[in-house]
Amino acid sequence: MDDLLTPKEQNLIIEDALHSYPLATMPKGITGLVLARIRTEPAPRFKLTRNDFLLAVALSLVLGAILFGFRSLPPHTLIQIRIQGILLWQSFLVNYRWLVPLTSIMLGASLAGFVLVQLLRPQRLEQ
Amino acid sequence: MDNEQTLIQRAQKGDHTAFAALLDEHQHYVYNLALRVVKDENEALDLTQETFVRAWTALPNFRGQSQFRTWLYRIVTNLCYNRLPGLRRSLADLGDDVLPEIPEPENAPTNPAREFESNEIRAYLHHAINALDANYKLLVSLRYQDELSYDEIASLLNLPLGTVKTGLFRAKEKLRTALANYHMEEQWTIS
Repeated sequence: MDDLLTPKEQNLIIEDALHSYPLATMPKGITGLVLARIRTEPAPRFKLTRNDFLLAVALSLVLGAILFGFRSLPPHTLIQIRIQGILLWQSFLVNYRWLVPLTSIMLGASLAGFVLVQLLRPQRLEQ
Repeated sequence: MDNEQTLIQRAQKGDHTAFAALLDEHQHYVYNLALRVVKDENEALDLTQETFVRAWTALPNFRGQSQFRTWLYRIVTNLCYNRLPGLRRSLADLGDDVLPEIPEPENAPTNPAREFESNEIRAYLHHAINALDANYKLLVSLRYQDELSYDEIASLLNLPLGTVKTGLFRAKEKLRTALANYHMEEQWTIS
């Protein structure tokens, strides 16, 4: 019998079976269960978590330690550091003058690209 | 009765009743998609429940760029990916080397000798559909049960369009083989 069926006819039978494939009946409604869960889990709004506070404290401590350490240095060491800094900056300006505009352009282009990608990207759930 | 857009807006503001209406409307489709993939009723129920809880949590981010149901399908598909770690790879492994033209359904045949409405053949093919691998069943369900376009499926599953077409083509090839087997068994029974 199969020999008598053309590919087109076979395709029709398969399409019919695919379209008529029945939906399974739900064993029980889940509305109540889901509602019970979401009532204890309200829609998220902006809120600070414990981790946010911990991160803020850690960053403050690190920054405070750097500032305190820097201020505690002896004056002549501070002057030496400043002189070395000025020399380094002068050397940079003389030898790598092109680097400042180039870095600015690259940063600007990267930022513009990132913003464009975010704007053009379709909405997607983060799962 | 409120339309879906209004219900979504109300649910986004925290209205549980509106969300319950959305849940009633869509749970059957979400459950069926999950059931096709995981093949277990309890697991499918669990996935359906989890899908709606996640939908509620993520609802403020839903901007209506896709249909609400498609958005739910994306959530349940991601949950299925988590539940079946090999599913994502098996879909990607379909490749897009085969790009056949998939003919659209045509008018019903007129030859009574070849009665395609045979319940027996249909039931046999339904059984064959049920026996397909999870990746094919996911594609078949989205295409024929949920009536999504190839583009929508590709976007939802984050797959190339060619891969979706190839997957559906291969699923149909498997059903074609099942159909041939059915007729061979029938001939063998007669002889």
